Amino acid sequence: MCDSTGNIWPKPLNYTVLKQELVWIDARYPIFATSAPSNESSAYLNNLTRYFLETIRLNDNNDRCDENMYYLVINLLVFSPSMTLNWDTLEDYKLKMSADDSGRSFSVAIEASTVFGARHGLETFLQLLQSYDVNEQTCFVTLKELVIEDKPYYKHRGLLLDSARNYLSIETIKKNIVGMAMSKMNVLHWHLSDSQSFPFVSTRLPNMSFYGAYSEKETYTPSQITELLQFAKLHGVQIIPEIDGPAHAGSGWQWGADAGLGHLVLCYNQLPYKSYCIQPPCGQMNPANPKLYDVLKELYADISQLWSESNVFHMGGDEVNVPCWNSSEEIINYIGSKNRSEEAFLHLWGEFQSKALDAYDVASDSQKSIILWTSTLTDPKTIEKYLSKNRYVIQTWVRKSDHLPADLEKLGYRLIISTKDSWYLDHGFWGTTTYYSWQTIYDNQISNGTTVLGGEVCMWGELVDNNNIESRIWPRAAAAAERLWSNPTTSAVRAASRFFSQNDRLASRGIRTSSVVPEFCSKSNYDCENYLTK
Amino acid sequence: MKQGELRRALMVATLLCLFLFFYLYWQQSSRPLQTLVLTYKHVYSSNEKNRPPQWTWLCVNQRCERHHVTENVKIVSLNTCSMLCGSTQLWPQPTGPVTLGSKAIAFNPQSFQFETNVNGAVRTLLSEAFSAFNESVQSLMRNDDFVNQKTDFLKFIVRATIKDSDVVRLKLSTDESYSLILKYRNGQSIANITARTFFGVRHGLETLSQLIWWDNYHGKNGALKVLKGATVEDAPIFSYRGLMVDTARNFMSVESLKRVLVGMAASKLNVFHWHLSDSQSFPMILPNVPQLAKTGSYSPQETYSSEEVKALVEFARIRGIRVVLEVDVPAHAGNGWAWGPQEGLGELAVCINERPWSLYCGEPPCGQLNPENPNVYDILQKIYRDLIELSGEKEIFHLGGDEVSLECWAQHLQKSSTPNNYTDLHDLWGEFTVKALMRLQQANGGERIPHVILWSSKLTKRPYLSKFLDKNQVTVQSWGASQWADTPDLIADGYKVLVSHVDAWYLDCGFGRWRETGDAACDPYRPWQTIYNHRPWQQLRLDKKKIVGGEACLWTEQVSEWNLDSRLWPRAAALAERLWTDPQLDTTTYIILEDVYTRLTTHRERLISRGLKPEAMWPSYCTQNPGMCL
Repeated sequence: MCDSTGNIWPKPLNYTVLKQELVWIDARYPIFATSAPSNESSAYLNNLTRYFLETIRLNDNNDRCDENMYYLVINLLVFSPSMTLNWDTLEDYKLKMSADDSGRSFSVAIEASTVFGARHGLETFLQLLQSYDVNEQTCFVTLKELVIEDKPYYKHRGLLLDSARNYLSIETIKKNIVGMAMSKMNVLHWHLSDSQSFPFVSTRLPNMSFYGAYSEKETYTPSQITELLQFAKLHGVQIIPEIDGPAHAGSGWQWGADAGLGHLVLCYNQLPYKSYCIQPPCGQMNPANPKLYDVLKELYADISQLWSESNVFHMGGDEVNVPCWNSSEEIINYIGSKNRSEEAFLHLWGEFQSKALDAYDVASDSQKSIILWTSTLTDPKTIEKYLSKNRYVIQTWVRKSDHLPADLEKLGYRLIISTKDSWYLDHGFWGTTTYYSWQTIYDNQISNGTTVLGGEVCMWGELVDNNNIESRIWPRAAAAAERLWSNPTTSAVRAASRFFSQNDRLASRGIRTSSVVPEFCSKSNYDCENYLTK
Repeated sequence: MKQGELRRALMVATLLCLFLFFYLYWQQSSRPLQTLVLTYKHVYSSNEKNRPPQWTWLCVNQRCERHHVTENVKIVSLNTCSMLCGSTQLWPQPTGPVTLGSKAIAFNPQSFQFETNVNGAVRTLLSEAFSAFNESVQSLMRNDDFVNQKTDFLKFIVRATIKDSDVVRLKLSTDESYSLILKYRNGQSIANITARTFFGVRHGLETLSQLIWWDNYHGKNGALKVLKGATVEDAPIFSYRGLMVDTARNFMSVESLKRVLVGMAASKLNVFHWHLSDSQSFPMILPNVPQLAKTGSYSPQETYSSEEVKALVEFARIRGIRVVLEVDVPAHAGNGWAWGPQEGLGELAVCINERPWSLYCGEPPCGQLNPENPNVYDILQKIYRDLIELSGEKEIFHLGGDEVSLECWAQHLQKSSTPNNYTDLHDLWGEFTVKALMRLQQANGGERIPHVILWSSKLTKRPYLSKFLDKNQVTVQSWGASQWADTPDLIADGYKVLVSHVDAWYLDCGFGRWRETGDAACDPYRPWQTIYNHRPWQQLRLDKKKIVGGEACLWTEQVSEWNLDSRLWPRAAALAERLWTDPQLDTTTYIILEDVYTRLTTHRERLISRGLKPEAMWPSYCTQNPGMCL
């Protein structure tokens, strides 16, 4: 609290303390005054006030405080009626706090372009409240007067959750959304399906989850998803769904032949898996089957119906395995047996992508942005042949040293950066991969070019489930959050004390975070930075 | 009809209608939104009320195969299939002969009836073990209504026969073997567990609980099931099967430590080594030296009271586990030891929080006991008395003794006024250890503690080893890399060894550097396969008789109580089977058999049902499709 740069995570753009003095305030019973230009945005602000109160009262053992407190008045002022949360959303806010000694009132004024900016402002204010136990009572203090002006550096500050390798409960997803909100992250990239399972319950194609879910309970129904989307929105988080294809598709697609639609996927469960995919079970969509695109259309229709407010969809597109297609007679017949070059298969893939895009456009009756992972299809030499930069956003997942992102940037593609050797949270537990500490994650600077939308940390799910996912993600994702919100010029060690505080906050909200340092350091943060270095 | 009656009748009719309305409305809204249909053609129909199970498992060639449910197929849950298909689902695998029936019956936990031949203290202990067993079984239930459901039989008798009824404390020589015979006759199941000691019976109960599972496909709501018949003969290979947790770097709540013990009991680990203090903090309130926790704990809330420690020791004993308390000295002691000068006792520890830390200790903050101050030994004796009293442990004692910084002492001795004549400060260290051992004996009422464990260090190497440490008393916990000469040398010199090789059994490794300078602790991460495949007595051809056992260590610089479970499990269970069963290792391929994967997966689920949060081992797909991911 006494830190001159504040104890806010992620670090705000401008932080000016006008009166360093600490004051007691009655945070439990604030008076809210909200002003927004539409009914919808007013309603959102009302929900925000509830969020504030729930958070304040979360760890309340004793709701009494007999200190001489200031009354707390929180003003939320929003200028734009816009309720859409996407890359164009303005997330800036201004927070002013001041005490009026004559009236014993303490005013917190948050002004923002949109409700989402106001939400960030309120989150910042929550971090400025410090609870103290005095004589078995819990009281709150804050600084007497300060001004914060803040806005994010990058538009896309994401976390990928994979609920296909292992099922993640709605509760687990929600807890991660809370962690994201606390760190001002704004995109949950939901890797909904993979070759292992298909938990998404499609209304039009119930067979998908019937054949693809681990069990009838390990699914996401439309009503659950709708509720989750609302929950995320209240936390300033947009959810981008991904249905990965043409590779990473197996479980859930195997009913095609029985239903008279032919094989929707090939190589499903084929052994030895190493010959047909990177991990078991294998499976890859069958681009030679015209019915595949009808099925995709139905599936996409369900998705766009649920995600009616969204203007983006992730189609995956990573790790297509040529030997799988090459082993299928159907594919060989389709492309012609004489034409089995790498190029021919790339062309087949490109054709798949354009048909899938058509299916999506028909299903959604619009032209939304499509995200694709980098692959041979996004090779800078040929990408323009297959993927239009007006429609596609490319998510790069190459090493820091790789110039692929720079090359794609030069071609003018919009990018989301997921640096593989810094931001892959699953690394360190399999193969020869290494674990990335929060410092490594924090210190990973990405390009600030105009077409770079931002970045994403990826929590692939092979070795995490409801039991251990939270501590694998948190607090490390928060390190990426500051990189993406503030893009600091300083390195992790300068942020250590603040980071440890943020970790304590995450724990106090019920997120099962990992420790990253002995408590000795996080508690005595007066010179923790020195302890860590010398 | 009177007017009033009519009104009443109308009222009743209206209420009935309302009730009916709400009932139907509720019925409707509780109907699942999505319905499952078998084929594409039926996509839009929505007649089904409940979503039926979609998978069934068939036992083919001793492996459970997942199949899609089709009409007229008998559905079998994965749990039931695994239990009845080839492999045991026991963890650790018993060392004696095992026969398992191929039939299962549903039963209700209310039908348990416990019997025993013993009285007195061991009977009390046994009844606690029965209730822990009962809890393990109940934890399997996924549907609380099941308790009131009728099942195949009325009585489930669990009969424990103990030969030595006076053994109530676990020792290294305690016979932990047991035999279990499970039979079903005339509508009742009888499980006869026979063992020499209570500790054998406890393991037998654990095994019995592992022959019980939840079948979620049984009837409408699922059911508990048990094998109809089984016989198991079992005894551990090693008598010391340990797990160490550090509560000084980060505080771990009593609740979280209880979960550690629950996991250990499920895996038949039997020594909980509690590294309770370090230079960062001293969380345990010792009755005779309360200053340590008062000045050394992170906060008054982050402490362990005597009552809590005693209760935890008892909780462990019921589960066949002994608790070894370690106050690490002379190094790894700093915060908590600074009160000497105030109380007129002089400096008890030196180099406390000294910087640059890399000169005076292995990790910040520094701190090391002052070997020159006689008051230090008086305090040590008090500490030792408290530790013996709290743990009740008089056979094994852990003295710590790792990572002493001679630079720290040298710097201190330079400043100190008393002349010293040490040409080799290792002698000072050795003398400190000898004095501490004497104080330990005095603290134990003059009786020598037969097994004192010391961490391996310079002092446990030649030539200091034989100069200061008695091989008839000292066991060395060898934590250096398995390729180092430490372990074979110790055994050659006649010392007993507790194996904790850092390259195999350190559970904290793999999370990078938490401090800015110095090496990354001990990357990379040790997956459970590495832990399981570590068999130094085979790989290094060591005399197994000189090895008391093994221990996995979890240092907690980068662990909180929120991820304690997932750092420990299921990896500590892999260690448990290495030490209990000690299966042969194929040193050319290092291949782990499919059966081990399957059983460990089942064991992990078991730990989850008992309230632990173990790490995921692989995608659920691999659990549901045994053999497909190997």
